[in-house]
Amino acid sequence: MSGQRFDELIHPATRLSIMSLLAAADWADFAFVRDQLRLSDSALSKQLATLEEAGYVAIERPLSERRRRLRAQLTPLGRERFHGHVVALQALIAGGPLTTA
Amino acid sequence: MSYPNEAEARLALADVEQARQRVIDRIGMPWWYWWGLAGCWVGLGVLNDVGVAPWLLTAATLVVGAVHASVSQRLLGGRQQTSEVRVRRDVAGRRSALLVIAFLVSLVALTIVAALALDADGAGHPATGASIFVAVVIVLGGPQVMAAIREDAARRAVA
Repeated sequence: MSGQRFDELIHPATRLSIMSLLAAADWADFAFVRDQLRLSDSALSKQLATLEEAGYVAIERPLSERRRRLRAQLTPLGRERFHGHVVALQALIAGGPLTTA
Repeated sequence: MSYPNEAEARLALADVEQARQRVIDRIGMPWWYWWGLAGCWVGLGVLNDVGVAPWLLTAATLVVGAVHASVSQRLLGGRQQTSEVRVRRDVAGRRSALLVIAFLVSLVALTIVAALALDADGAGHPATGASIFVAVVIVLGGPQVMAAIREDAARRAVA
């Protein structure tokens, strides 16, 4: 796992919350993330698309029972960047120097 | 690039912890697992007391064991209480499944001790009595075990 690395893409509050939820899970349903963070479908879709484009999040579309579901999970890169970002925030509080992604 | 100041960084980390806690809150096993297990426990106790053929009792025990094994494979440890999210093993705690198994093993021991005690006391249906007692322990104690696992996960997250 990398050291501290401030990541501008992760830092906006909504994206940070999405990444934090996914970091604690192997995977989470689109509906779970949406409901936990009280986002609209379109707002969450937009943020997930940005994170997916950056290679931080992978979206699966398993065919479940009668309806299609959307399942999100952090990629190894996303997990590494999230960890680096959290360590960078902790370093910032401790007054240490920052490096950026 | 503009970095957040210290107060903003603290707020961001608080958001991270809050989101993590939301996932931790999903650690658990569904109510029907505990009620189903309790029902099977009583069923086996009753079968033992009504004097069915030994092969039937053995078969029933094996069936219950097999069904439990297949169900608990996904549920044990409480990482996937619902189909919405699966909690990471390192968040739930690597010992969470072991804790549930230890709870189940202690229930078997409790059943034997309770049945022997009831039998020694001259109770008419010791296995049924013991299994009903343990069924109550399952229904009340199971969720408590999961709550303890959640508390442990939250403590480790803060540490």
